[in-house]
Amino acid sequence: MAGFTGLESVDDPASRDRFLTRALVAGGTLLAGGALLAGLPRLAASAQSPAQDAEIFNFALGLEHVQAAFYREAADQAELDGDLLEFARVVAEHEREHVGYLQEALGGSAAAEPETFFGAATTDPDAFAEAAITLEDLAVAAYNGQAANLTKGGLRAAATIISVDARHAAWIRAIVGRPAASQPVDQPLSRAEVEAKLDESGFLREA
Amino acid sequence: MTFRDIPDLALEDLDRDGAIREAADGLPRSSRGGFLKVVAGGIAGAAALGRPTGARAALAKGDIAILNYALTLEYLQDAFYTEAERKGALSGPPARLTEVVGAVERAHVHALRDVLGTRAVARPFFDFRGVTERPPSFVRTAVAFEDLGTAAYKGQAHLIQSPQVLAAAVGIHSVEARHAAWIRYIAGTLPAAEAFDQAKSRPETLSLVRSTRFVVARPRTKAAKKPAFTG
Repeated sequence: MAGFTGLESVDDPASRDRFLTRALVAGGTLLAGGALLAGLPRLAASAQSPAQDAEIFNFALGLEHVQAAFYREAADQAELDGDLLEFARVVAEHEREHVGYLQEALGGSAAAEPETFFGAATTDPDAFAEAAITLEDLAVAAYNGQAANLTKGGLRAAATIISVDARHAAWIRAIVGRPAASQPVDQPLSRAEVEAKLDESGFLREA
Repeated sequence: MTFRDIPDLALEDLDRDGAIREAADGLPRSSRGGFLKVVAGGIAGAAALGRPTGARAALAKGDIAILNYALTLEYLQDAFYTEAERKGALSGPPARLTEVVGAVERAHVHALRDVLGTRAVARPFFDFRGVTERPPSFVRTAVAFEDLGTAAYKGQAHLIQSPQVLAAAVGIHSVEARHAAWIRYIAGTLPAAEAFDQAKSRPETLSLVRSTRFVVARPRTKAAKKPAFTG
């Protein structure tokens, strides 16, 4: 997975996770409460509107398209086995439904599916797990980063998707034996940060 | 933009594995009802007594109530995992999860209490009646708690006024979903059973929690007998 450092520094995930666990357990809390919540990046809150919802959901649709294409390819090639293949098949269906939901909500303004390229990430177990973790974490951070910009209706709709992507992120970690949720709060990312990470992934053909 | 209606969950949908029901089955009903009194009293008290000072003055009344509701659910999770870890009856993946998730839930409690300051609802008393010592019951109950936590945060997000509180709530919401998937994997059940997770309202969540009878009005341990040794 050259050039795919993604969201996490995973030089030695096992030792990093052990460190996190020790840090968490020592003294009962990872961070002083104030720091935990006050330390979150301020969400760029702009006046909510249906037009802005459409813009945000088109951004989200792009991410869902990449996820859907990734799992569809993995499920079709079926080179993975056991838990990984089951994961790919179930999640492929979820992401397909997410795409369909957003397309239906956006109607004629829905953005076209981007061209993607995943290489060995849809067939090699390690590369697949790494890519899945990155894509799911990225989607969670992207939606969370837009929460304050969505209308109430838009937020309610997004929230039904966010936690499913978070479940996927934990599920794939559990399969490969990593602690599935070591951070007390998921950090949001801005749209520009998400787009930069997606570019870094190399999964977008035209980027 | 139009969104399809999102129906609320039925209890059976949330409690997919029957863990909450099972936990409540065959147990004394004496402690029933304590929980809502504790919560309602706490929220009302917090709103009445809340004399905002400093940075906390910015919190709207509705946000305070939501934060206290969240804090109550976090107290429940914190107590559950902390007790499980202390009893030491778990091993393998459930023990590992308890260590990590327990620390996260304690961090949530600490953070919410810090944000609320003097307006934080008091910690209720809990009685898990041995569930934390029986691995299969522990796992099923943890599944139910984490699915419930996820659905409960989801039901509040759009009601929050402060962007800061919203950032915290959505960041915790997705962590609860991660916990739910992790414990479900351990339980051998699909970590993400549906493409869309449904929200639960506050009354639905509180009534579900109450049905477990894990929240009691007073500590169970009574000093009925004199200690044998008081040295």
